[in-house]
Parts: sequence; C-alpha cells; structure tokens
Amino acid sequence: MTLPMQPEFTSPVIEYSRLYPLLIVFGVAAVGVLVEAFLPRDRRYLVQVVLAVLGLGGALAGTILVAADLDVAAGDLTARGLVAAEGAVSIDGPTVFIWGVLLALSILSVLLFAERRLEGGITAFAGQAAALPGTEAERQASTRGIEHTEIFPLAMFAVGGMMLFPAANDLLTMFVALEVLSLPLYLLCGLARRRRLISQEAAVKYFLLGAFSSAFFLYGIALVYGYAGTFTLAGIDRAVTDRVGGQNLLLAGMGLMAVGLLFKVSAAPFHAWTPDVYQGAPTAVTAFMASCTKIAAFGALLRVFFVGFGGAQWDWRPMMWIVAIITMVVGSVVALTQTDIKRMLAYSSIAHAGFLLVGFAGVFEGSSGYTGITSLQSILFYLTAYGFATVGAFAIVTMVRDAGGEATHLSRWAGLGKRSPLLAGVFAFFLLAFAGIPMTSGFIGKWSVFSAAWSGGAWPLVVVAVVMSVVAAFFYVRVIVLMFFSDPVGEGPTVAVPSALTGIAVAVTVAATVVLGVVPGPVLDLAQEAGSFVR
Amino acid sequence: MSATPFLTLSALLFTIGAVGVLVRRNAIVVFMCVELMLNATNLAFVTFARVHGNLDGQIAAFFVMVVAAAEVVVGLAIITSIFRTRRSASVDDASLLKY
Amino acid sequence: MDLYVPILALGLLAAGFAVFSVGVSAFTGPKRYNRARLDSYECGIEPTPQPAGGGRFPVKYFITAMLFIIFDIEIIFLFPFAVAFDVLAWYGVVEMFLFILTVFIAYAYVWRRGGLEWD
Repeated sequence: MTLPMQPEFTSPVIEYSRLYPLLIVFGVAAVGVLVEAFLPRDRRYLVQVVLAVLGLGGALAGTILVAADLDVAAGDLTARGLVAAEGAVSIDGPTVFIWGVLLALSILSVLLFAERRLEGGITAFAGQAAALPGTEAERQASTRGIEHTEIFPLAMFAVGGMMLFPAANDLLTMFVALEVLSLPLYLLCGLARRRRLISQEAAVKYFLLGAFSSAFFLYGIALVYGYAGTFTLAGIDRAVTDRVGGQNLLLAGMGLMAVGLLFKVSAAPFHAWTPDVYQGAPTAVTAFMASCTKIAAFGALLRVFFVGFGGAQWDWRPMMWIVAIITMVVGSVVALTQTDIKRMLAYSSIAHAGFLLVGFAGVFEGSSGYTGITSLQSILFYLTAYGFATVGAFAIVTMVRDAGGEATHLSRWAGLGKRSPLLAGVFAFFLLAFAGIPMTSGFIGKWSVFSAAWSGGAWPLVVVAVVMSVVAAFFYVRVIVLMFFSDPVGEGPTVAVPSALTGIAVAVTVAATVVLGVVPGPVLDLAQEAGSFVR
Repeated sequence: MSATPFLTLSALLFTIGAVGVLVRRNAIVVFMCVELMLNATNLAFVTFARVHGNLDGQIAAFFVMVVAAAEVVVGLAIITSIFRTRRSASVDDASLLKY
Repeated sequence: MDLYVPILALGLLAAGFAVFSVGVSAFTGPKRYNRARLDSYECGIEPTPQPAGGGRFPVKYFITAMLFIIFDIEIIFLFPFAVAFDVLAWYGVVEMFLFILTVFIAYAYVWRRGGLEWD
C-alpha cells in the first residue's frame, strides 16, 4: 500500500491590509481576557472600558480607511471590493458599510455597558454571577462593589462575530461567526444585577432556542454542501445556476438555512424568543442585541440569498413574502397589547424586521445605468436608521427608574412628560422615528425600502407594509399620549441623571436620527456607494 | 457503497433530536437533543464529503465539534446557574416571562 | 476488506492482552482486603465525601469537567496539522503556535481566576 502523492503546498494569502479592523476587534477581546487575568480588581473597570472604546474606535477608523480604497471588482459594474482570505471573507461595499455602522453602534453600546451612576456607582451587571440571587454571598458581592468586567471582552467577541457574520463568503465561516456572536450574547443576557431570575430565564430561553435554530442552520449548510459540493457562495451560485443534481436537496437546505437566519433577525414565526429575551436581559445588552445582531444577521441573510441562492430566487421569494407579511402583522398587532416598555420595543423590533424583509423579498438589484436605490442599499440605510434609534430608545429606558431598578411597566410611564419634558420628548422622538413620521430617519428608511420593493414588483407586499406601518404608528402614539396627556399614578418613577457615558450615547443617537431624517443625502449616497456584493 | 443509508440515518437522528427539543421538559435533556442534531449534521457532512470526493465536509465536522463543545460550556453554565437558583431544570418552571 | 484485517488483528491483540493480564493477576496476586481497597476509586486520591442519602455533586466538579471539555476539544485542530506537518513546513508551525497562544490566553484566565483550585 503506497500513500498517494502529497500535493505541493502553497501557503494561503491573507489580505491583512483589508482584514485588520476585524483582527483589531478580536485582538482587543483577547487582550481584555488577559486584563481580567492579571490586573487587580479595582483597576479592571477603567482599563477594560478604555480598551474596548479604543479598540472599537481603532477598528472604525480602519474600516473607513479600508472603505476608502476598495477597488472595483473584476468583471462587475456595481461591486467594489475583493474576496479575501482564500475565499473565506469578502471585503466589499456592503461589508464595510455594515462594519462601520456596527462599530459605531457598539461604541455607543459599550458606553451604556459602562454606565455606573444609575446603579449608585456600579455597573448594571451582576456582581458575581455565580452567587445565588437573594443569598448572603450576593449581598456581600454587591456591598463590596464587585462587578463583572468580563462583560467588555464578551461584548468585543460578540462584535467580532457580528463583523465576520455578514462578511463571510463561505458557509462554514458563516456558521462559526454565528456562534462567535451568539455565545457571548447568551451569557450577557443572564448577567443583570437586578431581577436576576428574569435575567437568567431570558438567558436559558435565548440559549436553548438559539442553539436549536443554529442546529437547523447547520443542517441546512450540510444539505447545501451536499447539493453543491462546496461551501463558497460563488461555487453554490454556479451549482444553483447550472441546476446540477437534485433540486430537493437545495430546497430543503435553503429552507433550513433560512430558519437559522430568520431566527437571528427575529422574523415571525421564529420570533418567540425576542420579547422574553429583550425584557429579561440587562437593558444595555438589549440595546446592543436589538441593534447590532439585527444588522449583522440581515447582512448575512442578504449575502447568502442574493449571492449564493440568487439563481433560485423564484423558489425562495414566495416563502419570504409570506414570512415578511406574518412578521409585520405579528409585530405590529401584538405590540398593541403590551404593558411592558421593553416588551413593546421588542415587538416593535419584530415589526421592523418585517419591514426590512419587504425590501429583501422585493429583490430589486437594479441594472447597469440605474441610479435609483436597490433592495440591498435601501436595507443598509434602514438598518442604520433603526440601529441608532434603537440604542437611543433603550438608553432612555435605563434612566426611568423607581426603587426596584428600571420602571419598565407602561403604567409607570404615565405623566412622564410633565415630570421630565426633555427625556419624554427625546423618547417620543425615537418612537416617532420608529413609526416613520416624516422628518425622521424612520420615514426615509421606510420610504427607500418600500420603493425598492415596489421597483422589484412586490407591490402587494408594499401595500400590506403601509397598512401595518399605520397600525404600528398607533401603539407608538399610544405611549406618547400616555407620557404627555395622562397623570402620574401614585408616586411615579424618578428620572435618574446618568453619567456622561449614557448622556453621550443619547446625544449621538438623537443627532443621528435627526440628521438621517432631515439630510439623509450623504448616508443614502454612502449606502449607494456600497454598490452590491462581490461574487 | 451508496450514501443513502448514511444520509437516512443522519436525517433520522436530526429528527429525533428536533422532536426531543420540542417535547422534553428538562433543560439538560433538551440541550442533549440539540447536541444530537449537531452530531447528525456531522454525519451528513462526512457523508457528503465522501460523495463529492473533497475534504471540505470533514473539516466542517471538526469545526462543528469545537463549536458544539463551546456551546456545551456556555449552555451548561447558564442551565446550572438557573438550576441552582430555582432547584429545578424544567423548562416549564421558568415562566416569569410571558405574553 | 483487506484494509480491515490489520485493525481487526490489533483489536484482538488488545483484547487478548487485557484478558490475559487481568486473568493472571487474579491467579497470582496476593489477596489482602482492607478499607482502602474496598473504597470507591477516584483516580488514586482520597474519595470526596458525599452527602448522605445520595445528594448532588458539588458544583466544582462541573467547572473541572467544562475546562476539560474545552481544552480537550481544542486539540482537534492539531490533528490536521499532525497529518500534514511535513508539507506545511514552517507555515504550519507558525500557525499552530499562534493557535496555541490563543488557547493559552484562555488558560491564563482560568488559572489566575482560580478555576484550577479545588478548594
């Protein structure tokens, strides 16, 4: 028996000059773990916060530099960029746009994580997650001012996974990225300082359902691999276009992968985890999850279905139409009945996933010489607008408090406008942006997504979306009416004054929401500059 | 040798796992069912690697194993902490969050 | 099927050796029973006291088990390297060094934060 000839080995080419924003984030996360290991407890907080903000800021600067010199892709009129790391990652217009938005939003989220004044000089995360709620050990941990600074490296790992997820150009990288972004989030959800039972329950639910959905995603990958014989999206695209082999394998694989991705964007009927997890998780984590996970997951969804399965779009479009309609209806209608502000915002995020899916199901990719906005570009803009408003809205939620921590029950928000007009006004502004009132970012976002879907011929979907926008506007307005036109019940909540960290986060998100609504031109141009995916 | 028996076994294991997640009540058992689904996927990966005559699927199986291990560590930590709080690992008992 | 003959032979050899050595020691070894011999075997250390009535195991076993799993499974990535280390030459060595470095970061965290201490 002789061994087969070993093929000549050529070492892979890694384009470090394009990938370094990603590597910075992962590197800083690893350094954060070492900080936890070797620095004394009282110095960790400051070092971790500075490290995280600098790391994310550095990665953001790097992303801008990378974006500035993306070359036009060979043989393509609209796409700029290249497929790097031997086909594992594609650094193209949409990737760098998503990276930029993700990094900006995660800097704001890290500022919310670091907020200490609201809890009286300590972060809103469990002092000692291993100590049982209500025990002596837990009380000691909190009187001694112990806090888990591991949240910062965990968040950095999650950001790294989120950056890799929409950039992944082969399905295996995509799966690994999915897990890298999910696992830290499962842990972060369970680390609330107050209401720990609810927080732990949210973590268990998120974890079990997340693992369940990623198993479906993985089996979908296996079937698609069985169909195409490769993991790269370009190879899958070739196989799909040539219609090699049995279509059943492809359809089943596509469906199972869609389950995993739609779970992450919290589209109905895979949305059941969203309200529970958004309500139970620490509010700063909810802000981070609601904005960044959705952006990353939509990036990946678009890339897989436009690049990999573009040739089979007549097979998956009907499915996406149905999912989009169910998602919009469930999100908008069920939100009407909510009595908890975080749960209501969770259903609002489900409704937004539905509106985004309208743009996606419209599949309008433009043609050469077309100057309007395509599905991909409109979704990128919508995600930007939605992300900033979401982080801002949850930041406001952390400030409305009573003796038991955050006062999230809606009845506690009654009359807030009389007590603190500024805060209630800012929150109302975010709600109007969610509702898509003209002169806010949400309006431009909805307008561009719906018009792209209309150009793609999905006009029935657009009609449903407009009707559902009206329904959704109703429950946003209900909260505004509650805040400004009803009297406080009993003592009412207090509005805590946060430190500069949350202040900056709110100020930036308000500014972004105003600018995106009033002068959306530059960001729309940027989204259009993003062009399309490289293949 | 035909690949069909292996793929059938893989699909069966995956289905058993999925049904297990839906009907079992103990969080640990639910989680074991998820692991069964991942291992069923591994079987599909190596079978397809054999069918296509390339190594991609086998490498994928390695990655899935490592990811599954990381998931075990994270998941059992979460389940243990809620068990220690509530003295129960039933997914029905965790019901503070609803509607 | 010829490929399986050596594996089968190896299996038979191993089974034969195990049966042989256990059998021989049963016949030739001294038979002295004491408390230590009859106690449950726990890798040669003093058995950890268990709560009466079959209580639950202390949670510290859990940490050890989890650490074992995570570090054990990492080794899987050394396997492709071990198969092709000669072809990969220095490139493989450098990559594996970087990989092990990242594993050691996790190890340093576990070590410094007391994950390896039993009590």
